[in-house]
Amino acid sequence: MANVSTAKKPTTPSGGWTDLWKLEDYWAVWLGTAIILLAILLWNEGNTFMNWISLKVPSYSHFEAAYSYIIIHTSALFALYLFFLILFSIAVKALSQEIIPFLAGFTVLFTLSVAVAVGGSWDVMKRYNLETPLLALAVGLVIGNLIKIPAWLSTALRTQFFVKTGIVLMGATLPVTLIVQAGSTAFAQATIIAAATFLSIYWAGTRIFDLDKRFAATLAAGGSICGVSASIAIGGAVKAEKHHVSIAISLVILWSIIMIFALPAAIRLLNVPPGAAGAWIGTAEFADAPGMAAAAAINEQAIKTFTLMKVVGRDMFIGIWCFIMALFSITRWDKRYEGTKPNAAEIWIRFPKFVLGFIIASIIVTFLTASAGTATSKAVYSNIISPITELRNWTFIFTFLSIGLTSRFKELTSVGWKPFAAFTAGVLINVPLGYLLSVVIMGNYWVTVK
Amino acid sequence: MRPDNETCVQRARFFFYFFEKKDWQPGETPPLDAIIKSKTVGPEAIRNLNKFLSTRLERIAEMMEILLRAHDDWAITGKKDYVLMETETYDFTNAIRVLEQHGFHDDEFILKVEYTRKWGVL
Repeated sequence: MANVSTAKKPTTPSGGWTDLWKLEDYWAVWLGTAIILLAILLWNEGNTFMNWISLKVPSYSHFEAAYSYIIIHTSALFALYLFFLILFSIAVKALSQEIIPFLAGFTVLFTLSVAVAVGGSWDVMKRYNLETPLLALAVGLVIGNLIKIPAWLSTALRTQFFVKTGIVLMGATLPVTLIVQAGSTAFAQATIIAAATFLSIYWAGTRIFDLDKRFAATLAAGGSICGVSASIAIGGAVKAEKHHVSIAISLVILWSIIMIFALPAAIRLLNVPPGAAGAWIGTAEFADAPGMAAAAAINEQAIKTFTLMKVVGRDMFIGIWCFIMALFSITRWDKRYEGTKPNAAEIWIRFPKFVLGFIIASIIVTFLTASAGTATSKAVYSNIISPITELRNWTFIFTFLSIGLTSRFKELTSVGWKPFAAFTAGVLINVPLGYLLSVVIMGNYWVTVK
Repeated sequence: MRPDNETCVQRARFFFYFFEKKDWQPGETPPLDAIIKSKTVGPEAIRNLNKFLSTRLERIAEMMEILLRAHDDWAITGKKDYVLMETETYDFTNAIRVLEQHGFHDDEFILKVEYTRKWGVL
Protein backbone atom coordinates (compact mmCIF):
# COMPACT_ATOMS: atom_id res chain seq x y z
CA MET A 1 0.00 0.00 0.00
CA ALA A 2 3.00 2.23 0.07
CA ASN A 3 3.59 5.11 -2.27
CA VAL A 4 6.56 3.47 -3.83
CA SER A 5 8.43 3.70 -7.04
CA THR A 6 6.35 1.92 -9.62
CA ALA A 7 8.88 1.79 -12.43
CA LYS A 8 8.14 -1.52 -14.10
CA LYS A 9 10.91 -4.05 -14.38
CA PRO A 10 10.76 -6.57 -17.19
CA THR A 11 9.50 -10.00 -16.19
CA THR A 12 12.31 -12.42 -15.39
CA PRO A 13 12.08 -16.23 -15.41
CA SER A 14 10.97 -17.75 -12.12
CA GLY A 15 12.08 -20.56 -9.83
CA GLY A 16 15.16 -22.70 -9.51
CA TRP A 17 18.09 -22.40 -7.15
CA THR A 18 18.10 -18.62 -7.51
CA ASP A 19 15.29 -18.59 -4.93
CA LEU A 20 18.01 -19.13 -2.33
CA TRP A 21 19.28 -15.59 -2.86
CA LYS A 22 16.32 -13.99 -4.61
CA LEU A 23 13.66 -14.60 -1.96
CA GLU A 24 13.20 -12.46 1.12
CA ASP A 25 12.24 -15.57 3.11
CA TYR A 26 15.64 -17.15 2.58
CA TRP A 27 17.45 -13.92 3.37
CA ALA A 28 15.65 -13.77 6.72
CA VAL A 29 17.08 -17.25 7.35
CA TRP A 30 20.61 -16.29 6.25
CA LEU A 31 20.73 -13.07 8.26
CA GLY A 32 19.09 -14.49 11.38
CA THR A 33 21.37 -17.52 11.41
CA ALA A 34 24.44 -15.37 10.68
CA ILE A 35 23.65 -13.12 13.67
CA ILE A 36 23.29 -16.15 15.95
CA LEU A 37 26.50 -17.77 14.71
CA LEU A 38 28.33 -14.46 15.03
CA ALA A 39 27.12 -14.12 18.62
CA ILE A 40 28.39 -17.63 19.41
CA LEU A 41 31.71 -17.01 17.67
CA LEU A 42 32.34 -13.67 19.40
CA TRP A 43 31.43 -15.10 22.80
CA ASN A 44 33.79 -17.99 22.18
CA GLU A 45 36.54 -15.47 21.42
CA GLY A 46 35.75 -13.50 24.56
CA ASN A 47 34.53 -10.52 22.51
CA THR A 48 31.66 -8.49 24.03
CA PHE A 49 30.60 -6.69 20.84
CA MET A 50 27.11 -8.23 20.82
CA ASN A 51 26.43 -7.14 24.40
CA TRP A 52 27.77 -3.68 23.56
CA ILE A 53 25.33 -3.11 20.69
CA SER A 54 22.29 -4.78 22.30
CA LEU A 55 20.80 -1.58 23.63
CA LYS A 56 17.57 -1.22 25.55
CA VAL A 57 16.42 2.22 26.66
CA PRO A 58 15.57 1.90 30.37
CA SER A 59 12.26 3.10 31.73
CA TYR A 60 12.45 6.74 32.90
CA SER A 61 10.35 9.52 34.38
CA HIS A 62 12.45 12.53 33.41
CA PHE A 63 13.69 13.13 29.91
CA GLU A 64 17.19 13.96 31.19
CA ALA A 65 17.65 10.28 32.08
CA ALA A 66 16.84 9.19 28.51
CA TYR A 67 19.01 11.95 27.09
CA SER A 68 22.02 10.93 29.17
CA TYR A 69 21.47 7.25 28.21
CA ILE A 70 21.60 8.19 24.53
CA ILE A 71 24.67 10.39 24.99
CA ILE A 72 26.53 7.67 26.88
CA HIS A 73 25.63 5.05 24.29
CA THR A 74 26.09 7.11 21.13
CA SER A 75 28.96 4.96 19.84
CA ALA A 76 27.07 1.74 20.55
CA LEU A 77 23.98 3.13 18.82
CA PHE A 78 26.04 4.04 15.79
CA ALA A 79 27.59 0.55 15.79
CA LEU A 80 24.10 -0.98 16.04
CA TYR A 81 22.99 1.16 13.08
CA LEU A 82 25.98 0.05 11.01
CA PHE A 83 25.47 -3.58 12.05
CA PHE A 84 21.90 -3.66 10.74
CA LEU A 85 22.68 -1.42 7.77
CA ILE A 86 25.43 -3.70 6.51
CA LEU A 87 23.43 -6.89 7.00
CA PHE A 88 20.24 -5.59 5.43
CA SER A 89 22.12 -3.92 2.58
CA ILE A 90 23.67 -7.22 1.56
CA ALA A 91 20.20 -8.75 1.36
CA VAL A 92 18.69 -5.76 -0.43
CA LYS A 93 21.47 -5.84 -3.02
CA ALA A 94 20.99 -9.58 -3.55
CA LEU A 95 17.24 -8.99 -3.92
CA SER A 96 18.03 -6.67 -6.85
CA GLN A 97 16.85 -3.52 -5.12
CA GLU A 98 18.59 -0.18 -5.38
CA ILE A 99 21.06 0.22 -2.57
CA ILE A 100 21.45 4.03 -2.30
CA PRO A 101 17.75 4.76 -1.62
CA PHE A 102 17.77 1.89 0.89
CA LEU A 103 20.74 3.39 2.76
CA ALA A 104 18.97 6.74 3.01
CA GLY A 105 15.62 5.15 3.89
CA PHE A 106 17.05 2.85 6.54
CA THR A 107 18.92 5.75 8.14
CA VAL A 108 15.61 7.57 8.61
CA LEU A 109 13.89 4.38 9.80
CA PHE A 110 16.64 3.71 12.35
CA THR A 111 16.55 7.29 13.63
CA LEU A 112 12.76 7.09 14.00
CA SER A 113 13.19 3.73 15.77
CA VAL A 114 15.55 5.24 18.33
CA ALA A 115 13.10 8.10 18.89
CA VAL A 116 10.25 5.62 19.36
CA ALA A 117 12.32 3.43 21.70
CA VAL A 118 13.06 6.50 23.82
CA GLY A 119 9.44 7.68 23.73
CA GLY A 120 8.07 4.21 24.50
CA SER A 121 10.25 3.91 27.61
CA TRP A 122 8.79 7.04 29.19
CA ASP A 123 6.67 6.02 32.18
CA VAL A 124 3.83 8.29 31.02
CA MET A 125 3.56 6.27 27.80
CA LYS A 126 3.58 3.05 29.79
CA ARG A 127 0.77 4.39 31.96
CA TYR A 128 -1.36 4.86 28.83
CA ASN A 129 -0.30 1.44 27.45
CA LEU A 130 1.50 3.17 24.60
CA GLU A 131 4.76 1.31 24.96
CA THR A 132 7.26 0.98 22.13
CA PRO A 133 5.32 -1.45 19.83
CA LEU A 134 2.04 0.48 19.79
CA LEU A 135 3.84 3.83 19.81
CA ALA A 136 5.89 2.78 16.76
CA LEU A 137 2.73 1.75 14.98
CA ALA A 138 0.86 4.92 15.95
CA VAL A 139 3.76 7.16 14.88
CA GLY A 140 4.03 5.29 11.60
CA LEU A 141 0.29 5.51 10.93
CA VAL A 142 0.15 9.24 11.64
CA ILE A 143 3.15 10.01 9.41
CA GLY A 144 2.10 7.56 6.67
CA ASN A 145 -1.46 8.86 6.48
CA LEU A 146 -0.59 12.55 6.59
CA ILE A 147 2.53 12.69 4.44
CA LYS A 148 3.25 11.10 1.11
CA ILE A 149 6.17 8.78 1.81
CA PRO A 150 8.97 9.35 -0.70
CA ALA A 151 10.07 6.40 -2.80
CA TRP A 152 13.58 6.31 -1.31
CA LEU A 153 12.12 5.90 2.18
CA SER A 154 9.65 3.29 1.00
CA THR A 155 12.49 1.07 -0.18
CA ALA A 156 13.53 0.64 3.45
CA LEU A 157 10.05 -0.21 4.74
CA ARG A 158 10.43 -3.96 4.41
CA THR A 159 7.85 -5.05 6.97
CA GLN A 160 7.90 -8.73 6.05
CA PHE A 161 11.66 -8.94 5.89
CA PHE A 162 12.13 -7.33 9.30
CA VAL A 163 9.53 -9.46 11.05
CA LYS A 164 10.80 -12.68 9.49
CA THR A 165 14.37 -11.89 10.54
CA GLY A 166 13.04 -11.15 14.03
CA ILE A 167 11.18 -14.46 14.11
CA VAL A 168 14.33 -16.37 13.10
CA LEU A 169 16.19 -14.60 15.94
CA MET A 170 13.35 -15.52 18.26
CA GLY A 171 14.05 -19.18 17.50
CA ALA A 172 17.27 -18.78 19.49
CA THR A 173 15.26 -17.88 22.58
CA LEU A 174 12.95 -20.91 22.48
CA PRO A 175 14.09 -24.47 23.27
CA VAL A 176 13.32 -26.86 20.43
CA THR A 177 11.51 -29.18 22.87
CA LEU A 178 9.07 -26.38 23.63
CA ILE A 179 8.49 -25.76 19.93
CA VAL A 180 7.65 -29.43 19.39
CA GLN A 181 5.43 -29.76 22.48
CA ALA A 182 3.58 -26.46 22.25
CA GLY A 183 3.57 -26.59 18.45
CA SER A 184 1.34 -29.65 18.33
CA THR A 185 -1.13 -28.07 20.77
CA ALA A 186 -1.01 -24.85 18.77
CA PHE A 187 -1.61 -26.70 15.52
CA ALA A 188 -4.67 -28.54 16.86
CA GLN A 189 -6.14 -25.35 18.27
CA ALA A 190 -5.31 -23.20 15.25
CA THR A 191 -6.76 -25.76 12.86
CA ILE A 192 -10.14 -25.81 14.62
CA ILE A 193 -10.32 -22.02 14.53
CA ALA A 194 -9.01 -21.73 10.98
CA ALA A 195 -11.54 -24.27 9.68
CA ALA A 196 -14.45 -22.55 11.44
CA THR A 197 -13.37 -19.11 10.26
CA PHE A 198 -12.72 -20.26 6.71
CA LEU A 199 -16.15 -21.83 6.41
CA SER A 200 -17.84 -18.78 7.95
CA ILE A 201 -16.27 -16.33 5.50
CA TYR A 202 -16.77 -18.65 2.54
CA TRP A 203 -20.38 -19.36 3.46
CA ALA A 204 -21.22 -15.70 4.13
CA GLY A 205 -19.40 -14.64 0.95
CA THR A 206 -21.09 -17.11 -1.40
CA ARG A 207 -24.52 -17.56 0.23
CA ILE A 208 -25.30 -14.16 1.71
CA PHE A 209 -23.25 -11.70 -0.32
CA ASP A 210 -23.22 -13.56 -3.62
CA LEU A 211 -19.48 -13.31 -4.16
CA ASP A 212 -17.59 -15.40 -6.70
CA LYS A 213 -16.51 -18.73 -5.17
CA ARG A 214 -12.84 -18.12 -5.88
CA PHE A 215 -13.03 -14.64 -4.43
CA ALA A 216 -14.77 -15.97 -1.32
CA ALA A 217 -12.11 -18.69 -0.93
CA THR A 218 -9.33 -16.09 -1.23
CA LEU A 219 -11.01 -13.90 1.38
CA ALA A 220 -11.62 -16.89 3.63
CA ALA A 221 -8.00 -18.01 3.39
CA GLY A 222 -6.75 -14.56 4.37
CA GLY A 223 -9.10 -14.41 7.33
CA SER A 224 -8.41 -17.88 8.62
CA ILE A 225 -5.11 -19.47 7.64
CA CYS A 226 -2.30 -16.96 7.79
CA GLY A 227 -3.28 -13.60 6.35
CA VAL A 228 -1.77 -12.15 3.21
CA SER A 229 0.40 -15.21 2.53
CA ALA A 230 -2.70 -17.37 2.51
CA SER A 231 -4.68 -15.02 0.28
CA ILE A 232 -1.98 -14.94 -2.37
CA ALA A 233 -1.34 -18.68 -2.14
CA ILE A 234 -5.00 -19.67 -2.38
CA GLY A 235 -5.70 -16.90 -4.90
CA GLY A 236 -3.11 -18.45 -7.20
CA ALA A 237 -4.19 -22.02 -6.50
CA VAL A 238 -7.83 -21.37 -7.40
CA LYS A 239 -6.93 -18.82 -10.13
CA ALA A 240 -8.80 -15.95 -8.54
CA GLU A 241 -8.80 -12.66 -10.38
CA LYS A 242 -6.16 -10.11 -9.53
CA HIS A 243 -8.43 -7.42 -8.14
CA HIS A 244 -10.10 -10.01 -5.91
CA VAL A 245 -6.73 -10.98 -4.44
CA SER A 246 -5.93 -7.28 -3.95
CA ILE A 247 -9.19 -6.74 -2.07
CA ALA A 248 -8.56 -9.77 0.13
CA ILE A 249 -5.08 -8.45 0.99
CA SER A 250 -6.46 -4.99 1.80
CA LEU A 251 -9.05 -6.50 4.14
CA VAL A 252 -6.44 -8.63 5.89
CA ILE A 253 -4.30 -5.53 6.49
CA LEU A 254 -7.25 -3.39 7.58
CA TRP A 255 -8.48 -5.92 10.13
CA SER A 256 -4.93 -6.68 11.26
CA ILE A 257 -4.35 -3.05 12.14
CA ILE A 258 -7.69 -2.79 13.94
CA MET A 259 -6.74 -5.91 15.92
CA ILE A 260 -3.33 -4.53 16.94
CA PHE A 261 -5.18 -2.02 19.10
CA ALA A 262 -8.36 -3.99 19.86
CA LEU A 263 -6.79 -7.22 21.11
CA PRO A 264 -4.42 -5.74 23.73
CA ALA A 265 -7.30 -3.53 24.94
CA ALA A 266 -9.60 -6.57 25.24
CA ILE A 267 -6.86 -8.57 26.95
CA ARG A 268 -6.40 -5.88 29.60
CA LEU A 269 -10.15 -5.46 30.00
CA LEU A 270 -10.70 -9.21 30.45
CA ASN A 271 -7.55 -9.57 32.55
CA VAL A 272 -6.20 -12.39 30.39
CA PRO A 273 -2.81 -13.75 31.57
CA PRO A 274 0.07 -13.06 29.12
CA GLY A 275 0.66 -16.68 28.05
CA ALA A 276 -2.97 -17.21 27.09
CA ALA A 277 -3.15 -13.70 25.63
CA GLY A 278 -0.32 -14.47 23.20
CA ALA A 279 -2.02 -17.69 22.13
CA TRP A 280 -5.29 -15.83 21.60
CA ILE A 281 -3.54 -13.17 19.52
CA GLY A 282 -1.93 -16.03 17.59
CA THR A 283 -5.31 -17.25 16.38
CA ALA A 284 -7.14 -13.91 16.22
CA GLU A 285 -4.56 -11.84 14.32
CA PHE A 286 -4.36 -12.23 10.57
CA ALA A 287 -0.73 -11.51 9.78
CA ASP A 288 2.63 -12.08 11.47
CA ALA A 289 3.87 -8.51 11.77
CA PRO A 290 0.68 -6.96 13.22
CA GLY A 291 0.27 -9.98 15.49
CA MET A 292 3.78 -9.47 16.78
CA ALA A 293 2.94 -5.82 17.48
CA ALA A 294 -0.14 -6.83 19.49
CA ALA A 295 1.78 -9.51 21.41
CA ALA A 296 4.72 -7.19 22.07
CA ALA A 297 2.24 -4.74 23.61
CA ILE A 298 1.57 -7.39 26.29
CA ASN A 299 4.98 -8.84 27.25
CA GLU A 300 7.78 -11.28 26.37
CA GLN A 301 5.75 -14.37 27.30
CA ALA A 302 2.93 -13.27 25.01
CA ILE A 303 5.45 -12.84 22.18
CA LYS A 304 6.56 -16.46 22.67
CA THR A 305 3.09 -17.99 22.84
CA PHE A 306 1.98 -15.84 19.91
CA THR A 307 4.91 -17.09 17.84
CA LEU A 308 4.24 -20.70 18.73
CA MET A 309 0.57 -20.36 17.78
CA LYS A 310 0.95 -18.24 14.66
CA VAL A 311 4.21 -19.44 13.16
CA VAL A 312 4.27 -23.06 14.27
CA GLY A 313 0.52 -23.68 14.51
CA ARG A 314 -0.63 -21.77 11.42
CA ASP A 315 2.05 -20.49 9.02
CA MET A 316 3.82 -23.83 8.63
CA PHE A 317 0.74 -25.48 7.20
CA ILE A 318 -0.12 -23.00 4.46
CA GLY A 319 1.16 -25.43 1.81
CA ILE A 320 -1.22 -28.15 2.92
CA TRP A 321 -4.17 -25.75 2.89
CA CYS A 322 -3.13 -24.60 -0.54
CA PHE A 323 -2.98 -28.16 -1.84
CA ILE A 324 -6.42 -28.96 -0.43
CA MET A 325 -7.95 -25.82 -1.93
CA ALA A 326 -6.40 -26.46 -5.34
CA LEU A 327 -7.79 -30.00 -5.25
CA PHE A 328 -11.20 -28.70 -4.20
CA SER A 329 -11.17 -26.02 -6.87
CA ILE A 330 -10.45 -28.47 -9.65
CA THR A 331 -12.64 -31.35 -8.54
CA ARG A 332 -15.67 -29.53 -7.16
CA TRP A 333 -16.00 -26.18 -8.86
CA ASP A 334 -16.71 -25.44 -12.47
CA LYS A 335 -13.74 -25.99 -14.73
CA ARG A 336 -13.17 -22.41 -15.73
CA TYR A 337 -9.50 -21.89 -16.43
CA GLU A 338 -8.75 -25.41 -15.34
CA GLY A 339 -5.16 -26.02 -16.14
CA THR A 340 -3.27 -27.70 -13.41
CA LYS A 341 -3.58 -30.80 -11.36
CA PRO A 342 -2.77 -30.07 -7.73
CA ASN A 343 0.82 -30.93 -7.15
CA ALA A 344 2.04 -32.17 -3.78
CA ALA A 345 5.28 -30.22 -4.40
CA GLU A 346 3.19 -27.10 -3.72
CA ILE A 347 3.29 -28.03 -0.02
CA TRP A 348 7.04 -27.40 -0.01
CA ILE A 349 6.89 -24.47 -2.44
CA ARG A 350 4.40 -22.69 -0.17
CA PHE A 351 6.20 -23.59 3.04
CA PRO A 352 7.35 -20.32 4.66
CA LYS A 353 11.11 -20.81 4.55
CA PHE A 354 11.84 -18.42 7.40
CA VAL A 355 10.21 -21.01 9.69
CA LEU A 356 13.18 -23.25 8.86
CA GLY A 357 15.49 -20.52 10.15
CA PHE A 358 13.36 -20.24 13.30
CA ILE A 359 13.73 -23.99 13.93
CA ILE A 360 17.45 -24.07 13.02
CA ALA A 361 18.12 -21.17 15.42
CA SER A 362 16.28 -23.01 18.17
CA ILE A 363 18.22 -26.24 17.54
CA ILE A 364 21.59 -24.41 17.58
CA VAL A 365 20.98 -22.64 20.89
CA THR A 366 19.24 -25.64 22.49
CA PHE A 367 22.22 -27.82 21.61
CA LEU A 368 24.65 -25.20 22.91
CA THR A 369 22.78 -24.84 26.20
CA ALA A 370 22.27 -28.58 26.67
CA SER A 371 25.93 -29.36 26.11
CA ALA A 372 27.05 -26.75 28.64
CA GLY A 373 27.28 -26.89 32.43
CA THR A 374 25.25 -24.61 34.71
CA ALA A 375 27.81 -21.82 34.73
CA THR A 376 28.26 -21.95 30.97
CA SER A 377 24.49 -22.02 30.47
CA LYS A 378 24.26 -18.72 32.35
CA ALA A 379 27.03 -17.33 30.17
CA VAL A 380 25.19 -18.50 27.06
CA TYR A 381 22.09 -16.71 28.26
CA SER A 382 23.81 -13.41 29.07
CA ASN A 383 26.21 -13.37 26.10
CA ILE A 384 24.14 -14.96 23.34
CA ILE A 385 20.42 -15.23 24.10
CA SER A 386 20.07 -11.87 25.83
CA PRO A 387 21.81 -9.82 23.08
CA ILE A 388 19.90 -11.72 20.39
CA THR A 389 16.64 -10.90 22.19
CA GLU A 390 17.50 -7.18 22.14
CA LEU A 391 18.51 -7.29 18.47
CA ARG A 392 15.23 -9.07 17.76
CA ASN A 393 13.36 -6.27 19.57
CA TRP A 394 15.03 -3.71 17.27
CA THR A 395 13.92 -5.65 14.17
CA PHE A 396 10.41 -5.59 15.60
CA ILE A 397 10.54 -1.81 16.07
CA PHE A 398 11.56 -1.50 12.39
CA THR A 399 8.61 -3.79 11.60
CA PHE A 400 6.02 -1.86 13.57
CA LEU A 401 7.13 1.49 12.16
CA SER A 402 7.05 0.01 8.65
CA ILE A 403 3.50 -1.28 9.15
CA GLY A 404 2.34 2.18 10.13
CA LEU A 405 4.26 4.01 7.43
CA THR A 406 2.96 1.75 4.65
CA SER A 407 -0.71 1.45 5.69
CA ARG A 408 -3.09 3.99 4.24
CA PHE A 409 -6.63 3.81 5.57
CA LYS A 410 -8.05 5.62 2.55
CA GLU A 411 -6.77 2.87 0.26
CA LEU A 412 -7.50 0.00 2.63
CA THR A 413 -11.15 0.97 3.06
CA SER A 414 -11.96 1.26 -0.65
CA VAL A 415 -12.85 -2.41 -1.07
CA GLY A 416 -16.65 -2.44 -1.24
CA TRP A 417 -19.05 -3.41 1.56
CA LYS A 418 -19.80 -7.00 0.51
CA PRO A 419 -16.28 -8.41 0.87
CA PHE A 420 -15.85 -6.36 4.03
CA ALA A 421 -19.05 -7.83 5.49
CA ALA A 422 -18.07 -11.40 4.52
CA PHE A 423 -14.64 -10.98 6.10
CA THR A 424 -16.18 -9.44 9.21
CA ALA A 425 -18.41 -12.51 9.58
CA GLY A 426 -15.22 -14.53 9.97
CA VAL A 427 -13.81 -12.08 12.51
CA LEU A 428 -16.98 -12.47 14.58
CA ILE A 429 -16.42 -16.24 14.71
CA ASN A 430 -12.63 -16.20 14.97
CA VAL A 431 -12.17 -13.85 17.93
CA PRO A 432 -14.67 -15.40 20.41
CA LEU A 433 -13.71 -18.94 19.39
CA GLY A 434 -10.03 -18.07 19.88
CA TYR A 435 -10.83 -16.69 23.34
CA LEU A 436 -12.76 -19.85 24.22
CA LEU A 437 -9.97 -22.19 23.17
CA SER A 438 -6.88 -20.18 24.17
CA VAL A 439 -8.12 -18.63 27.40
CA VAL A 440 -11.06 -20.65 28.75
CA ILE A 441 -10.20 -24.20 27.70
CA MET A 442 -6.41 -24.18 27.16
CA GLY A 443 -5.56 -21.12 29.29
CA ASN A 444 -3.97 -23.19 32.06
CA TYR A 445 -1.59 -24.72 29.53
CA TRP A 446 -0.58 -21.49 27.81
CA VAL A 447 0.23 -19.67 31.06
CA THR A 448 2.89 -22.31 31.75
CA VAL A 449 4.64 -21.77 28.39
CA LYS A 450 7.53 -19.39 29.07
CA MET B 1 -11.46 -0.79 -5.81
CA ARG B 2 -9.44 1.70 -7.80
CA PRO B 3 -7.30 0.07 -10.50
CA ASP B 4 -4.13 1.68 -9.11
CA ASN B 5 -4.86 0.35 -5.63
CA GLU B 6 -3.47 -3.10 -6.22
CA THR B 7 -1.75 -4.90 -3.40
CA CYS B 8 -0.39 -7.89 -5.29
CA VAL B 9 1.60 -8.81 -8.36
CA GLN B 10 0.21 -11.52 -10.62
CA ARG B 11 2.53 -13.86 -12.50
CA ALA B 12 0.84 -15.79 -15.29
CA ARG B 13 2.79 -18.83 -16.50
CA PHE B 14 1.85 -20.52 -19.76
CA PHE B 15 3.36 -23.96 -20.28
CA PHE B 16 3.38 -25.24 -23.86
CA TYR B 17 4.31 -28.90 -23.79
CA PHE B 18 5.64 -30.30 -27.07
CA PHE B 19 4.50 -33.87 -26.73
CA GLU B 20 1.33 -33.49 -24.76
CA LYS B 21 -1.88 -31.60 -24.66
CA LYS B 22 -3.71 -31.09 -21.42
CA ASP B 23 -6.75 -33.04 -22.59
CA TRP B 24 -6.91 -35.46 -25.45
CA GLN B 25 -10.07 -35.21 -27.51
CA PRO B 26 -12.09 -38.31 -28.44
CA GLY B 27 -10.22 -40.22 -31.13
CA GLU B 28 -6.84 -38.66 -30.24
CA THR B 29 -4.14 -40.74 -28.62
CA PRO B 30 -0.87 -39.50 -27.17
CA PRO B 31 1.68 -40.26 -29.94
CA LEU B 32 4.43 -41.25 -27.55
CA ASP B 33 2.32 -44.04 -26.05
CA ALA B 34 3.13 -46.27 -29.02
CA ILE B 35 6.88 -45.48 -28.78
CA ILE B 36 8.12 -45.06 -25.22
CA LYS B 37 9.05 -48.38 -23.59
CA SER B 38 7.41 -50.22 -26.47
CA LYS B 39 9.11 -53.42 -27.67
CA THR B 40 7.34 -53.23 -31.03
CA VAL B 41 7.80 -49.69 -32.30
CA GLY B 42 6.64 -49.58 -35.87
CA PRO B 43 7.38 -46.97 -38.57
CA GLU B 44 3.76 -45.87 -38.44
CA ALA B 45 4.18 -44.81 -34.80
CA ILE B 46 7.12 -42.60 -35.79
CA ARG B 47 5.11 -41.08 -38.67
CA ASN B 48 2.25 -40.42 -36.25
CA LEU B 49 4.65 -38.68 -33.92
CA ASN B 50 6.03 -36.62 -36.79
CA LYS B 51 2.51 -35.63 -37.85
CA PHE B 52 1.50 -34.80 -34.29
CA LEU B 53 4.64 -32.78 -33.62
CA SER B 54 4.33 -30.82 -36.86
CA THR B 55 0.83 -29.75 -35.95
CA ARG B 56 1.54 -29.31 -32.25
CA LEU B 57 4.70 -27.23 -32.67
CA GLU B 58 2.99 -25.03 -35.26
CA ARG B 59 0.10 -24.46 -32.85
CA ILE B 60 2.54 -23.59 -30.06
CA ALA B 61 4.39 -21.14 -32.31
CA GLU B 62 1.10 -19.50 -33.27
CA MET B 63 0.05 -19.17 -29.62
CA MET B 64 3.41 -17.62 -28.80
CA GLU B 65 3.06 -15.14 -31.66
CA ILE B 66 -0.42 -14.15 -30.51
CA LEU B 67 0.73 -13.57 -26.95
CA LEU B 68 3.79 -11.64 -28.12
CA ARG B 69 1.63 -9.45 -30.32
CA ALA B 70 -0.78 -8.82 -27.45
CA HIS B 71 1.91 -7.91 -24.93
CA ASP B 72 5.61 -7.13 -25.09
CA ASP B 73 6.85 -8.19 -21.64
CA TRP B 74 7.32 -11.95 -21.51
CA ALA B 75 10.09 -14.07 -20.04
CA ILE B 76 10.38 -17.05 -22.35
CA THR B 77 12.30 -20.10 -21.22
CA GLY B 78 12.96 -23.17 -23.33
CA LYS B 79 13.01 -26.57 -21.63
CA LYS B 80 13.58 -30.09 -22.85
CA ASP B 81 9.92 -30.75 -23.53
CA TYR B 82 8.15 -27.43 -23.20
CA VAL B 83 8.33 -23.68 -23.60
CA LEU B 84 7.38 -21.49 -20.66
CA MET B 85 6.05 -17.96 -21.18
CA GLU B 86 5.74 -15.85 -18.06
CA THR B 87 4.60 -12.32 -17.41
CA GLU B 88 3.90 -10.13 -14.43
CA THR B 89 2.42 -7.29 -16.42
CA TYR B 90 -0.44 -8.82 -18.41
CA ASP B 91 -3.53 -10.24 -16.73
CA PHE B 92 -4.06 -13.95 -17.37
CA THR B 93 -7.74 -13.40 -18.17
CA ASN B 94 -6.75 -11.11 -21.04
CA ALA B 95 -4.20 -13.62 -22.30
CA ILE B 96 -6.78 -16.41 -22.31
CA ARG B 97 -9.31 -14.18 -24.05
CA VAL B 98 -6.93 -13.27 -26.86
CA LEU B 99 -5.99 -16.92 -27.39
CA GLU B 100 -9.66 -17.92 -27.49
CA GLN B 101 -10.38 -15.18 -30.01
CA HIS B 102 -7.84 -16.83 -32.31
CA GLY B 103 -9.36 -20.28 -31.95
CA PHE B 104 -7.10 -21.71 -29.26
CA HIS B 105 -8.59 -23.54 -26.34
CA ASP B 106 -7.43 -24.04 -22.81
CA ASP B 107 -6.59 -27.69 -23.46
CA GLU B 108 -3.63 -26.56 -25.58
CA PHE B 109 -1.65 -25.03 -22.76
CA ILE B 110 -1.27 -25.28 -19.03
CA LEU B 111 -1.74 -22.10 -17.08
CA LYS B 112 -0.45 -21.51 -13.57
CA VAL B 113 -1.10 -18.28 -11.70
CA GLU B 114 1.09 -17.02 -8.88
CA TYR B 115 0.51 -14.00 -6.70
CA THR B 116 3.06 -12.17 -4.60
CA ARG B 117 2.78 -9.20 -2.31
CA LYS B 118 3.31 -5.86 -3.92
CA TRP B 119 6.29 -4.02 -2.50
CA GLY B 120 5.61 -2.66 0.98
CA VAL B 121 2.53 -4.79 1.69
CA LEU B 122 2.78 -6.50 5.05
